[in-house]
Amino acid sequence: MIRRVLALLSKELADLRRNPGVFVPAVITSAGVLALPFFVAIVVPYATGERLSESGDLQVAVEMFETQPWTRGLDPEGAIQAFVFQQFLMLLVLGPVAASMSSAAFSVIGEKQARTLEPLLATPISTTELLAAKVLGAFVPALLLTLGTFVAYLVGTAALARPGVFRALLTAESLTVIFLVGPLAALAALQMAVCVSSRVNDARSAQQIGAIVILPFAGLLVAQVTGAVVLTTGLTLAIAGGLLVLNLGLLRLAVVLFDRESILIRWR
Amino acid sequence: MTPALAARGLTKAFGARVAVDDVSFELRRGETLALVGPNGAGKTTTLRMLAGLIAPDAGRVELGGQAVTPLTASAARRQIGLLTEAPGLWDRLTVRQNLTVYARLYGLQAPDMAVDAALARYGIADRGQDAAAQLSKGLRQRVALARALLHDPSVVLLDEPTSGLDPESAGRVRELVRDLAAEGRAVLICTHNLDEVDRLATRIAVLRTRLLAVDTPQALRARLFGARVRVVLADDAARYAGLLTTAGVRDVRTEGTVLSVVLDGSTIGSTPALVQMLVEAGARVEEVARETPSLEQVYLQVVGPRSGT
Repeated sequence: MIRRVLALLSKELADLRRNPGVFVPAVITSAGVLALPFFVAIVVPYATGERLSESGDLQVAVEMFETQPWTRGLDPEGAIQAFVFQQFLMLLVLGPVAASMSSAAFSVIGEKQARTLEPLLATPISTTELLAAKVLGAFVPALLLTLGTFVAYLVGTAALARPGVFRALLTAESLTVIFLVGPLAALAALQMAVCVSSRVNDARSAQQIGAIVILPFAGLLVAQVTGAVVLTTGLTLAIAGGLLVLNLGLLRLAVVLFDRESILIRWR
Repeated sequence: MTPALAARGLTKAFGARVAVDDVSFELRRGETLALVGPNGAGKTTTLRMLAGLIAPDAGRVELGGQAVTPLTASAARRQIGLLTEAPGLWDRLTVRQNLTVYARLYGLQAPDMAVDAALARYGIADRGQDAAAQLSKGLRQRVALARALLHDPSVVLLDEPTSGLDPESAGRVRELVRDLAAEGRAVLICTHNLDEVDRLATRIAVLRTRLLAVDTPQALRARLFGARVRVVLADDAARYAGLLTTAGVRDVRTEGTVLSVVLDGSTIGSTPALVQMLVEAGARVEEVARETPSLEQVYLQVVGPRSGT
């Protein structure tokens, strides 16, 4: 089973290498997401001459974060920078996923339109294997981009933010977000897109429906920024658990929805 | 002897429309069976059922005597090579990459060696590094054929293998198909090209939702047209038509100086006896030949007036 998934995954990645333009929106989105917190926490205070810790609007956050274990030892400006960089972590994870949604959405539709699906279905590959390879084909580049962006994020904070902010980002919560919640959310969104891709004629439909998975995380981001929710290790693990269940359910649903017969008959 | 592949009462409907109705035939090793029929006759649907891509509503497919079920379809596909109507190559990938992915999907032990062998066999070794998009239609078809046969299947199903190809490319593909049968594989071709059928097929199955006929081209010709003899005379052939009809000769046709008759079942059982009768009646015979109806005539006779709809 793994061999067939890897075989088709190698095709997906080779296809991407030959057509890197498909991934340009994801790179641009990641670069934008990467730049945004630096703009807010470093560039704006530098340009206006007003420190974030001096802003009345952020006093509550300063007080809240100064007492957190991971900001202990930071000065008020460092604490508020750590707050900003923590909040944007979720966006850092979802940016590449949202952008790579288009390749996931096009994955099955593209095969249908190019009439390459029928020879593929004539091989011993199972529906689960085929869909797994399609999801991974979009997921692996998105994951690599996320990790690359995270490394750049850490390097950027080490170089530009107040001393100690870099270490404040390496908490259990943030690492759980980056290495567990993020990939699982990405997997769910891309699975949804591939799942819909096998049922519709238009990649845009698949993309839009896939994006629904991202909406709760956008809400979580807003809740975090407003202080309504504080991401604890327990909460991030609970989210990760929920996403795992969602992923398993989506895989099952995708296999059920992928009707070989109607795909072959409708697409001539 | 167990057939390599058998259709047993295959039936498939899409909604209210019955695409294939109670179709049964066998495909033996080393033979090439041509599945012919008008557009919408159910040829591709039959092919897909045989390839394990879609399940019949009724009836079954047997591969080597074993029924193919949804549980065994994946394993069955290892023994079947399917050439689809469209080559279906991944355009951005090279020819080699296209074949390598399939070699790995079929679980071949040495995929690179299998691909090298296929590239050499199908005369595309020099195009291995080219993107599939750069290939001509004929070359694309050869790559698709190479892909369908990478895993050395015992049964080969070909859907319109020479459709849209120039005569030279079509000829090369036909040579490859001929080789497949010579190697002992069971080959089934879906095609509209009756000339191709005449050149390649051991037997013909005529389909129009139901199976109308299955036999060798010779047997179909004999059954539908009999042993027809064409006689060219020096004078008007119509003068002798009455004489032959009276003598019990079937289906006497005349056109100018040409007389065409069916001897089977008539009182005149042989060509020399026919010639003798004509000469005795004063005819001057210039040429006598056994008339072979074209496969198109046979096909039209079998499918009837609704052909081509």
